[in-house]
Amino acid sequence: MTKTIALFLAHALAVIAVLTTFGVLGLQREDQEAQERFTGVLEENVTLQILDNDTAKETGYLDELLNAFNEEYAQYGIKAVDANMGAYTDLEKLGPAGYGPDVVYQANDVLMRYALNKHIQPLPVEEMEAYSQIPIEAWDAYRMQMGEAEYTFAVPVNVQEPLLYYRKDLLPENWQEEWDDDKNGIPDMVENWADLYAFSAEIKASSNGTKFGYMKSLNDQYFAAGYFLSYGGYIFGKDETGAFDTEDIGLSAGESYKGARIIRQLAAVMDNNCADDTITTSAYELLGNGTYFATMTTPDVYESFVENFASSWSRTHRDWTEEEVDAYVRENLVMTKVPALPLSGDLTDREGETMDMTVMGGINGYAISSYTKAPNAALAFLEFASRKEWIARRCELLGIVPARADVVEEEGGVAEDVFDDLLNGRIYIMPGERAMTQVWASLGSLLRFIAEDGLANGTAYDTDDKLIAAMKKLDEDIYSAIHTLS
Amino acid sequence: MEKNVNKVAEGSAPRWLGQFAGAVRKKWAGFSEIVTHGNFRVACSMFLMGTGQMMYKQWAKGALYLLIQAGFFAYFILAGAADLFGLFTLGTVEANPWYGIEGDDSVLMLITGILSVIMLILYLALYAANVKGVYETQKRVEAGKRPFTFLEDVKQLFDQKFYKTVLFLPVLGVSVFSILPIVFMILIAFTNYGDDIVPPRLVDWVGFENFGKLVAVGEYATTFFKIFGWNILWAVLSTGINYFGGLALALLLNKSCVKGKVFWRFFPILAYAIPGFITMLGFKFMFANGGPVNYYITQGGGDAIFFFGANSTWPARFIGLMVNAWISIPSSMLLATGILSNANKDQYEAAKIDGANAFQQFWYLTLPFVVFATTPVILSQFIGNFNNFGVFYFLRSDVAESAGYVLANDTDLLINWLYKMSIDNNYYSIGAAISLIIFLITSVISLVVYIFSPSYRQEETYR
Repeated sequence: MTKTIALFLAHALAVIAVLTTFGVLGLQREDQEAQERFTGVLEENVTLQILDNDTAKETGYLDELLNAFNEEYAQYGIKAVDANMGAYTDLEKLGPAGYGPDVVYQANDVLMRYALNKHIQPLPVEEMEAYSQIPIEAWDAYRMQMGEAEYTFAVPVNVQEPLLYYRKDLLPENWQEEWDDDKNGIPDMVENWADLYAFSAEIKASSNGTKFGYMKSLNDQYFAAGYFLSYGGYIFGKDETGAFDTEDIGLSAGESYKGARIIRQLAAVMDNNCADDTITTSAYELLGNGTYFATMTTPDVYESFVENFASSWSRTHRDWTEEEVDAYVRENLVMTKVPALPLSGDLTDREGETMDMTVMGGINGYAISSYTKAPNAALAFLEFASRKEWIARRCELLGIVPARADVVEEEGGVAEDVFDDLLNGRIYIMPGERAMTQVWASLGSLLRFIAEDGLANGTAYDTDDKLIAAMKKLDEDIYSAIHTLS
Repeated sequence: MEKNVNKVAEGSAPRWLGQFAGAVRKKWAGFSEIVTHGNFRVACSMFLMGTGQMMYKQWAKGALYLLIQAGFFAYFILAGAADLFGLFTLGTVEANPWYGIEGDDSVLMLITGILSVIMLILYLALYAANVKGVYETQKRVEAGKRPFTFLEDVKQLFDQKFYKTVLFLPVLGVSVFSILPIVFMILIAFTNYGDDIVPPRLVDWVGFENFGKLVAVGEYATTFFKIFGWNILWAVLSTGINYFGGLALALLLNKSCVKGKVFWRFFPILAYAIPGFITMLGFKFMFANGGPVNYYITQGGGDAIFFFGANSTWPARFIGLMVNAWISIPSSMLLATGILSNANKDQYEAAKIDGANAFQQFWYLTLPFVVFATTPVILSQFIGNFNNFGVFYFLRSDVAESAGYVLANDTDLLINWLYKMSIDNNYYSIGAAISLIIFLITSVISLVVYIFSPSYRQEETYR
């Protein structure tokens, strides 16, 4: 018995000794030296995985860009290839595991979320050729104070903001007499929300609810946020360092309830689909076939509208050539700045003062994954892709609004308008905070509540007091969703 | 007989406990016996696995045990011990990919830590088998028999111990592919993983904090209990509707007066054959704000009903129940049809002669017979419905929140809330806590219902 117990205990002690000794040893770490990653020396014979959006692939832009880059850097053995991943591939999940792209093209809100946990590399942007050509407002979207230092995480490529799309051929024949009060040659209904509202009501009434003026899914937070922002609302305040303070939620600030009132009013001139996502998905086709007069969306989907409009027009004009249809469509599908809002926040107020609308927008750009094995080659790619010729080409093929001032100057038109909005603070750049998920969830639900109330002519949000209370409750809900569990 | 049944039911829970305690006592007695009566060879195997076997000239078996021990020690020296300790710390060095500084990956450490625990358990089990084996050999020798040869041991694995051979791979598979993820999920519930705390940042243990947040923090507690209440109601109603709906349909189509049974049975089968999500999307389209149902309502002069609107709690819940019934009743019908075909016709004849009406026949003959045979199915349907993610995800996912709920709407079930918490909002640890609560609820309900069900209490009836 003594032997068995002794050897049993000896074994147990041996196991415990092995576990504790090697357990403790295994957890010890050698001090690692921080290495500067951008040394200026190109890594040779490397392949860069480039993640760009689907439109860049579909239009052939990405292929052109990659081929040109590969040709220029062939002497170093550097090759850039399409990462061949979904446009919304999550670097946060793939990067630490050693997968994912080397270069990412994304909107600022996504990129800055990556930056928070160091998934993308801070860039020496001041040394880049594009630096002086891109306005500070665009760079600001990628700047973040972390500790004592301020970093910039991406190179802005294009500016995104909602624009109004409308069918010029659906304007009333007499619009110059009846719908151009200021005689500036621009139809009032695309200049002012109040006139657009009146025009929409007229179309709906005269068509017995089969045709509509302005149509948009009113529960779409990104596009609806502008109504609140224009009247003094904001998403997050900023702390003394200029960083977003997620404890300061201000969607109810100022007179933002007026924005809520506008959403409720707009619902009345739309149909039952406006409270869900139906219009967002059907707008291409229904604007194309003339069921809708106007809608609001971003400039990068212009070609999709053209395609649907052309397809619909070809069906009813079979004797037209493809070129004739294309020319007609491009002439009559107009993309312009969103109309001005009534200062009173009442869409029935067509005579009162108006103000430019502030919209929610974003800056899309290129960033470098912190997990890349070739940071210097990746930086060379960013330098290359942000050159004037390539931004101009992107603009030409994708219809984007460029972030480079020199390209905007050459482009003119809507690009200049959007750029002007950016410089004058009429674009509220979407915060790159993880907490935006909770903002969108609560805001989306309230928008739906308000839209349904407007559709049913209900009493839940029919007074300013009720709307003010709803906006305050919204802020509280968002705060709770962000901070109670974190 | 009834008394006996009750006695069995009353004794069910203590019987389980008694069995467990008995098993523990038996193991302890076995261990004591080995320690007390084991000879030097057994003692040697207690220190170095397989040496005792070798002393009995079981060279191959002994060498195998020795190799296993060496393998496990190598594993623990090279990685296992560090993994085991890592399970407690979840990392101490935060990575900084900006400067190429590699740090600890807490999530990976959690997984490898669990794996090391599984390996440790496996080692201890093999160690016990080694000691037990050599002691059995000692007893054989003491009884004047010779030790088993390696070939005889192998033969046993295909004979008396065949169950071990067959179960080895499944048990290994279950350990790695089922137990490891489940334990991982359970442990996540006790960490702060999620929101901003994702690799490369370090995750830490937080004890029961997540559970505390769910049941004690104002709005979350309210949301949790509201969803929980609705979840229970949903599970009971949907299981009831589906089960009795299927049974009713089966009884109806079983009637001799029904003409063209094959034709009528075709429709439920069709509903069953169409993928569930297609059906759900169909219903969503039909009842959408601008869908066909509202079209006819407004054409008829009425006001549109927002069936899935932000305020439409009960219309949406009702449609959810109906969609689920549409999808599930056919399978219940098929099941009931099969069971009814085995019903004893003589009992019905006798009941008729005794003057039982149709309802009495159903209540006293059909229902007990069908329920007896299908209790496990009802349970699985109940659990399935309790965790029915698809219905409201498809029907109403565009309503992110309802008034009085946090990050959930008023038709969400716990499983939908779990999804929103962990996938949409990155609150992984809270999601894990919810899933643990769901697991506890469903296991307790299943266990209790099953123990008190006729299928368990009258197990012997149809043997």
